[in-house]
Amino acid sequence: MDFVPHDDDTITEMLEVIGVNKIEDLFKDIPKDLIINGLNLPEGLSEPDVLKKLKELGATNTIYANSFLGAGCYFHYIPTLVDFVVSRSEFYTSYTPYQAEASQGYLQAIYEYQSIISRLTQMDVANASMYDGSTALAEAAIMASIITRKNQIVILEGVHPEYIEVVNTYCWGQNIALKIVPIDKIEDELNQEIAAVLFQSPNFFGNIEDVSVLAKKIKKTAPNCLLIQCMTDPTCLGILKPPGETGVDIFVAEGQSFGINPSFGGPGLGIFAVKEKFLRKIPGRLVGKTKEINGEREGFLLTLQAREQHIRREKASSNICTNQALCSLSALIYLVSLGKTGMRKIATQNFQKAHYVKKKIKKIPGYEVLNNKPTYNEFIVKCPDIDSLIQECKKLNLLPPLPLSKYYPEMKDVALVCVTESNSRESIDRFIKALELANNNKEARY
Amino acid sequence: MDSRDSLIFEKGNKNTQINFIPKMDIEFDELESFIPKNLIRDEVQIPDIPEVEIVRHYVKLSKINYGLDSGIYPLGSCTMKYNPKINEHIARLAEFSQIHPLQEENEGALQLIHNISNMLAEITGMDGFTLQPAAGAHGELVGLLILKKFFETKGVVKNKIIVPDSAHGTNPASAKMAGFSIIELQSNKSGEVPLDHLEFAMQQGDVAGIMLTNPNTLGVFDKQIKDITKIVHKYGGLCYYDGANLNPMLGICRPRDMGFDIVHLNLHKTFSTPHGGGGPGSGPVGVTNELIPFLPKPCIISTENGIVCTHDKTHSIGRIKAFWGNFGIILRAYVYILTLGAEGLKRVGQIAVLNANYLRTQLQKKYNLPYNRICQHEFVLSDKNMPNEITTEDIAKRILDYGFYAPTIYFPLVVNGALMIEPTETESKDSLDKFIEAMYQIYEEALNEPEKLKNAPSNTPIGRLDAVNAARKPILRD
Repeated sequence: MDFVPHDDDTITEMLEVIGVNKIEDLFKDIPKDLIINGLNLPEGLSEPDVLKKLKELGATNTIYANSFLGAGCYFHYIPTLVDFVVSRSEFYTSYTPYQAEASQGYLQAIYEYQSIISRLTQMDVANASMYDGSTALAEAAIMASIITRKNQIVILEGVHPEYIEVVNTYCWGQNIALKIVPIDKIEDELNQEIAAVLFQSPNFFGNIEDVSVLAKKIKKTAPNCLLIQCMTDPTCLGILKPPGETGVDIFVAEGQSFGINPSFGGPGLGIFAVKEKFLRKIPGRLVGKTKEINGEREGFLLTLQAREQHIRREKASSNICTNQALCSLSALIYLVSLGKTGMRKIATQNFQKAHYVKKKIKKIPGYEVLNNKPTYNEFIVKCPDIDSLIQECKKLNLLPPLPLSKYYPEMKDVALVCVTESNSRESIDRFIKALELANNNKEARY
Repeated sequence: MDSRDSLIFEKGNKNTQINFIPKMDIEFDELESFIPKNLIRDEVQIPDIPEVEIVRHYVKLSKINYGLDSGIYPLGSCTMKYNPKINEHIARLAEFSQIHPLQEENEGALQLIHNISNMLAEITGMDGFTLQPAAGAHGELVGLLILKKFFETKGVVKNKIIVPDSAHGTNPASAKMAGFSIIELQSNKSGEVPLDHLEFAMQQGDVAGIMLTNPNTLGVFDKQIKDITKIVHKYGGLCYYDGANLNPMLGICRPRDMGFDIVHLNLHKTFSTPHGGGGPGSGPVGVTNELIPFLPKPCIISTENGIVCTHDKTHSIGRIKAFWGNFGIILRAYVYILTLGAEGLKRVGQIAVLNANYLRTQLQKKYNLPYNRICQHEFVLSDKNMPNEITTEDIAKRILDYGFYAPTIYFPLVVNGALMIEPTETESKDSLDKFIEAMYQIYEEALNEPEKLKNAPSNTPIGRLDAVNAARKPILRD
């Protein structure tokens, strides 16, 4: 199957118009020894056969009834209308809206997305999207380096370890030095040569920082240093003070929580928002509102393209071209579906349910919640036997929490637990049971 | 009736019921008993909107948006081919859409990434692939970082990259992001890389390599491609293949055989995953055996114990994206390759070139074709010799009035007033003929009724927009 709509007669007719005898004549520029004799790939499959094959392959990925795993990718309920809208093929089969007059629908939607992210974060300007949270953070670091003309970046412990790896790769590319420091040592590390301080709140371990206090501390010692906040589950913004009110210069987040399926970690959505004064240094696409040249009607178009690679080439602020447009549309539909009431409710439930689980855990012998700051929907727990906990969770059809030793080998027997609104009381009860069983297993062994 | 709609934020209603949060089924404490009050915000300024209003608003917006399913989408270098619906269906199956990137039981997902890596290796001739990059430009960055690491590891300083003037804008921008400076090479009269200039540049000793797309953005296959890659290799450089234009080469010839060391592909162009209005995409990178140690980590490899993920790579450039890449897009491309098979992919290449040449032959009867020769997947017209000072933008906007999307305009930069046209293999002759007919009529209008072009578009939901003022006083939010 090749989705080619021609029959043989049509092909002959077209070749005649072109003035060649056979299709091979169209490839005469290619040196003969470069022409291959077919690909060593299987024959094409019919639609039912390909579906069957993929279902068999998919069956080896275990799907759990409930999840206590987060760590940068979250199971939140997705309103049905999100997929309904993004399945409109007028949206998903379109290209980047270069021809504004034939793309007003999508351009308006992106404008609404930029607006809703500004409203949610209280930042002045949001771009049309980046690839994901990790690359958004890396691009923010580079942007800060361009703005300040300094090439040192400080990153505070507690940023998602995979994000740190990505920032590290990007910074190495541009000869920017990166230093990771604990949050309570930040004042010792500050100096005038630092372009930006990157931090995550709520951080990878779940801790919520008092960002206003952190911002004051940093600006006092290094007034030109930019403060970059990152977030992996921005549903917390239904309750938590937004970055625009706490002194943050650039805010980035992974927007997967806003109506996007986990899909093994991608595609997600890189949210990127800045203070007004950095507007012209922002990477990626921006949609603006303007008027007709010969009329009074307002419309939308891609704007400030002079920052971008297709105009500026090597002088562009970033190389980004394709972004995550359809995912930003999902996020927009998700946010308008929830509205202010829904955003408050979802953040409240995540807070409350995680708090409820924490309280329960504190009563189980052998376990200790390690966070010493307020937390949102994730927190870390010292376990008597984490391997046993993982096994018990699986037996009870629960996707187990993350063993932190995956990223921090020294943190043995510590689990990063995630509880969202999608965890019912019944699933929480099962999780508590798994924790108790894991402790009993441990005691039985000794 | 105005086909447009006011902003969604104007549709709120204070009594709207929000039905997307489960009922609270646990006992709870006062929020402020465990979160300090000073961390809590005021209400978010997003109105509560009834579901039916949301649905109608976005259906209305969709109706004033042109997609590939609306008709021909002849954007050059964008490969706007049909997106098979089975891809979308499979991407939504719970077995794929509901798996967590950090869960242990992920055998099917890793197997899939491994399988498509092998298929892409066969299609391009490369030895190993990473599926981590999220888009073409992201793949370019990965490829150039691999180049950088390769020379760094050898202890050789090579900090320049050759990029022809016909290259996609992302090429020089990506090279800069990897810390290289750019040597721009002017194409010769036939749109190809001049070998003498190339050799001179390489002789300087500090050039790490060349970035090329072949066929290039003029739709020209560079006949001397093997000489080009040979010269670059002779001086110790490496050759990077921008796979944005791979479509016409499918099953016909392979970048590796041309002499390339690093390749990126655009799954959202060549392998039928939808463009989504600008993304998400996927930009896998393939390399030769020599460069496999430098691929981003983690790598998915085949061992005696099955498919596993390895972080153990001392020379790796590091991680380039959290988790595994845009898996949902990779999955769609995998379904496409399985559906087409070897024969189907070859026919894609052949018919893409047939369609482009058919269009070229018909359109050059009326329009200027600066590079008049058989093309591959695309060709470039220009507004040179248009009557009544009609510009490329006028033509493009008038095409919209005829109910089609316009080609890529003012790119590549090597042609003044470029109209870059790529029909792809999934357009029928009937569809191409309708587009040709419209282009002929537009030419007649340019001769006899130029105002129709200068005032175009007039049949779209809105007229030509003021881009200058938009950039001068940007309004980027409500």
